Amino acid sequence: MTPGLEHYLVVSLLLFALGLLGVIIRRNLLVIYMSLEMMLNAANLALVAFSRFNNNLNGQVMVFFIITVAAAEVAVGLALIVALYRQRQSAHVEDLATMKL
Amino acid sequence: MNDLVLMGLEGAVLVTGLAVLLLDLWITPDQRRLLGFGAIATLGVIFCASFAYLPDGTQYAFGGMYALDEFALYFKRFFLIAGMFVLLLSVGTSHAEEGGQGEYLSLSLFALAGMMFCASAANLALLFVSLELVTVTFYVLVGFQRRRLASLEAAIKYLIIGALSSAFLVYGIALIYGATGTLDFRQLASLPAAVMESRILWLGALFLFVGLGFKMAAVPFQIWAPDVYQGAPPSTTAFLAVGSKAAGFVLLLRVLHQTLPVLETRWLHLLMGVAGLSIAYGVLCAIPQRSLKRLLGYSSIANAGYLLIGVATLSAAGATAALYYLAGYLYTVLAAFIVIAVVLQHTGRDDFDSLAGLHQRSPLLAAGLTFAMVSLAGIPPLAGFFGKFLVLKAALAAGAEHPGFYWLLGIAVVGVVISLYYYFGVVRAVYWGTPGEQPAGPIRVEWPLQVALYLAMVAILWLGVMPNQITNLAELAVKSLGLR
Repeated sequence: MTPGLEHYLVVSLLLFALGLLGVIIRRNLLVIYMSLEMMLNAANLALVAFSRFNNNLNGQVMVFFIITVAAAEVAVGLALIVALYRQRQSAHVEDLATMKL
Repeated sequence: MNDLVLMGLEGAVLVTGLAVLLLDLWITPDQRRLLGFGAIATLGVIFCASFAYLPDGTQYAFGGMYALDEFALYFKRFFLIAGMFVLLLSVGTSHAEEGGQGEYLSLSLFALAGMMFCASAANLALLFVSLELVTVTFYVLVGFQRRRLASLEAAIKYLIIGALSSAFLVYGIALIYGATGTLDFRQLASLPAAVMESRILWLGALFLFVGLGFKMAAVPFQIWAPDVYQGAPPSTTAFLAVGSKAAGFVLLLRVLHQTLPVLETRWLHLLMGVAGLSIAYGVLCAIPQRSLKRLLGYSSIANAGYLLIGVATLSAAGATAALYYLAGYLYTVLAAFIVIAVVLQHTGRDDFDSLAGLHQRSPLLAAGLTFAMVSLAGIPPLAGFFGKFLVLKAALAAGAEHPGFYWLLGIAVVGVVISLYYYFGVVRAVYWGTPGEQPAGPIRVEWPLQVALYLAMVAILWLGVMPNQITNLAELAVKSLGLR
């Protein structure tokens, strides 16, 4: 059996949902950030699958843009998390609660 | 070559940003201010050059990726003005911020270029890349005072929520592409009606709205706004409040009216609901606030609601009202943040107590803040009043077709009344607050900030008294969007 479009989409949706779940329930910033990357890659998988089954390359080109932008985003995001770690010696969301009301 | 000419404004801003970044390596610290003034002057030249573009209809460049029309130009000018004020604000308060003045300037310029690209996006790929250019640079700008915990905390919150919303945006783009097989706005608009019925397309468009709603700070995507507004450096907050929000609106209007017109009827209730909730949430949560920046964060959520009413009417009058509203909001918020930046510099705080006696310490700052608050509250004859008036008038006209708008109108009017309480709470703190033991010497305002504050005040008054010039421009812009 060759995998069809729906198989790819189910995997992609699962990845997206797992990533979202991770963002919501995990407490470590690095794990949250990893989950966010997984959501982006779920979209990439969907784009590639759609590109294959739509018979045009627009989707694949879009994936390259997404990978590039995600790399920039990770560079900035990790820098911020490291800066926070230096100040608080921790990377947990509970430590992000100085501003309230 | 013609393509590059069409993209000239963004190109010039990008080159300016790179030039600032490079020049910063060779100049001495005393010359940093000159660098800032040079960048502002260049933006002024680019702003004037934008009037040389006279698009006849819509012109496309780079294989239909990039569109230039009156609508895009209106927003480009808007962003350029915002950029000039923000650079002036950052130059005026530079010595308070630690190091990296050159980087701050060039990052602001890159964010500005991203916003200008948003105004011209005619392809989902450019939409994504330009929106991310704005968002990723703002991660850095928000956390620029990296030794201040509040700034860092705000940056991390913005990062997590921002990345989450871009994940939704990207998935939405993937679904739209899957349903239609194209990313191009013109091809999307000319698709047969049968494709438009696809549920996948509908879901994709909804995810796209999540991404845009985050930029607009509309309920339920507003969760980041108060914390980020409070923690970020004031010049960043000002840019976030006007530029980033307007970038969300320009894309929303273009997607709604030019790309997927089928959404107009489908999204009507969604837009109305989000508008009503944003006003209610922003207004109610602003009441107990003591920090001025946080108060403006909630006020920005409420203002997103008023803007969305204008968009939800789906009429030319409503879109024109939203465009005018944004122009008034621009000067109002900038005036407020100039004052906040100076007060922060002198007292280290931005709560109501630090404002006490401000009218004695600096009459100019007191007048500027009062102007901003009165305009935000929507009192005639200032810009804020006329913006709200136009939006509500458009909603009243749309109510004839759709009674739901009367409810929205009711929420909006109640929101205005409640907001009087906290906006005038600020004015009361400025003029009648009792100063504590802190030594209350006069505050000297640096001349760049004085100039910016005077300009913003004049603009608020001018927009309110003579709204026609801006509404004419806005009407022209809306017409090029294809709205009647």
